[in-house]
Amino acid sequence: MTLVIAPILVALVTAVVSLFARPFERLRSAVSVAGALSYAAVVALLAREVLASGPLTYQVGDWAAPFGITLVADALAAFMLALAALVVVPVVVFGLRAIEERAQRVAYHPLFFFMLVGISGAFLTGDIFNLFVWFEVMLMSSYVLVVIYGTPEATGATLRYVALNLVGSALMLVSIGGLYAVTGTLNMADLSRRLADPAAYGVNPAPALGLTVLLFSVFALKAGVVPFHFWVPEVYRAAPAPVTATLAGVVKKVGVYAMIRLVFTVLGGAAFDLSAPFSGDAWGFYGPVLFVLAVASIVLGGVGAVGRDDLSGVLAYSSISQVGFIVLPVAIAAGATSTAVRTLALTAALVYALNHAVAKSTLFLVTDVIESATGTDDLRSLGGVAGRSPILGGAFFLGALALVGTPPLSGFWGKFLVFDAAVGAGATGALAAALGGALFTIAYMTRAWNRGFWGEASPSVEEMKPDRGLVTVVAAMALLVVVIGVGFDPVYRFAEAGANAALSRHDYIDAVRFAATAGNGGGH
Amino acid sequence: MTQTVLAVVLGALFGLGTYLVLRRDVVRVVWGVVVMSQAANLYLVTMGGLSGSVPVLGHGAEGITDPLVQALVLTAIVISFGTTALALVLTYRVHEGHGTISMEDLAEEVEP
Repeated sequence: MTLVIAPILVALVTAVVSLFARPFERLRSAVSVAGALSYAAVVALLAREVLASGPLTYQVGDWAAPFGITLVADALAAFMLALAALVVVPVVVFGLRAIEERAQRVAYHPLFFFMLVGISGAFLTGDIFNLFVWFEVMLMSSYVLVVIYGTPEATGATLRYVALNLVGSALMLVSIGGLYAVTGTLNMADLSRRLADPAAYGVNPAPALGLTVLLFSVFALKAGVVPFHFWVPEVYRAAPAPVTATLAGVVKKVGVYAMIRLVFTVLGGAAFDLSAPFSGDAWGFYGPVLFVLAVASIVLGGVGAVGRDDLSGVLAYSSISQVGFIVLPVAIAAGATSTAVRTLALTAALVYALNHAVAKSTLFLVTDVIESATGTDDLRSLGGVAGRSPILGGAFFLGALALVGTPPLSGFWGKFLVFDAAVGAGATGALAAALGGALFTIAYMTRAWNRGFWGEASPSVEEMKPDRGLVTVVAAMALLVVVIGVGFDPVYRFAEAGANAALSRHDYIDAVRFAATAGNGGGH
Repeated sequence: MTQTVLAVVLGALFGLGTYLVLRRDVVRVVWGVVVMSQAANLYLVTMGGLSGSVPVLGHGAEGITDPLVQALVLTAIVISFGTTALALVLTYRVHEGHGTISMEDLAEEVEP
């Protein structure tokens, strides 16, 4: 089924074509916008196909699984791809006007689409080593995108970002090598099958759990969850706004997606002999771990955001806190006892991920428009932006309300489902954490709004002339936040299908269709 | 025997890499990361098993070492080559822009 690789191909072709179109301003803009729109179109087609007829697979080079690389598009992957497409289209249009001409001429467009190639590949692959390769494609482009203006601030931040992720890559290789030695396979479906029935395949499951923890911490690093969050504020501030919007909106979600895939698909049926404080299967281990990470992220991110005086700093710390909100329902799902609650909790995580992707990238772009019009994003020298430019103020207001979770915006449903899942699972701790996190969100968003957007216009705001094109893009994104919230039913059903796909391990394994000879005979 | 030697070498390499990554000097940090990713590659090769002959087509399926890990390592080496080059260029640009290669001085400059 070639539709499975279509998102990767479209992004790849766009990246290559834009390499040649770089010197010509109109041509490269047209290529980028056309690429982003066709990406959204093929993702929509793929999603429709997957929702109608179940998971689709593509065997790379026609090598039968598990010997070759298998790409699997199930509803979970389709949901994440749709999330990426929703963010990428406006960000690409925004970038045409917001990125400096020199950077656009040199490398911005091809790099952006190479990053999208990596993101799409990471969502679609069904092979852990291939996942490593897609991560590297995504990261390598993101390094250069962060440092693209070459300012001293950006070089310093990027160097640390690169060093950190290289250590992460080394750890990922170690865990992949270890998992291969223990289980004899790299295919996620095959891993899932073997870990669920270790005796039949001659696998010793005990080292596998520890190795997946190593893999899990690399995913947590990508997602920017506490205690792997420390690179987030610095990198988000150093990168150009469209890049930051994509990093916060989509690249973070790649980490979250990989965590969900690992815990629910790969380890879904695995049984381990665990001692206290953990119990039972892999979920009994990952439930508490995810819970601690989520709560720590919500609290530390929230405290950090309340204390910041620059708008992009507030948003960067808020990203840490909001990822906690996405991971919290995942923890509830791992700890839940009934399938209904588990599905509900994962649906909540996906809906919240979508909400955060759209709302947070809107807020980052609004901040960039303000910063380029006034020369600062420091809340102490801003004020009265809403009076000077009601559309810009309105877009920020809608994005902020979506993060806070006011009906009828997308964030309301996200928060509502998180609370619903916490109540359904009887998880009082999770409920308290979510409530506390919601209060933090209200605190830092109100503070940013009051100081930056309300009241008397400060001198720099008085003279600002925001770029009309950029304001239009931002307004369209804010509208998207409203549309997702008002027309929530299809979004909910899509997210629920994604949650079901994450939990129905057997459908995933069946879809991969192993070669007949790969049935038994464990190890290598 | 080979296993013991490789286990010791791997441990030493990871130890050295970690030690270098924790230095203040940016160049040492980059070296540390390079050592670590090479250690990971070596680890990957050992995970395919060490007994058996060279996996060349025509040797037959029996008694050869697992060739898959070697394919993985080739991919990983190419990737780490690219990222190492980028990290070294960045080090140069950091030195150019800040006039220092000390991580601590950099951190002080970045924090507002």
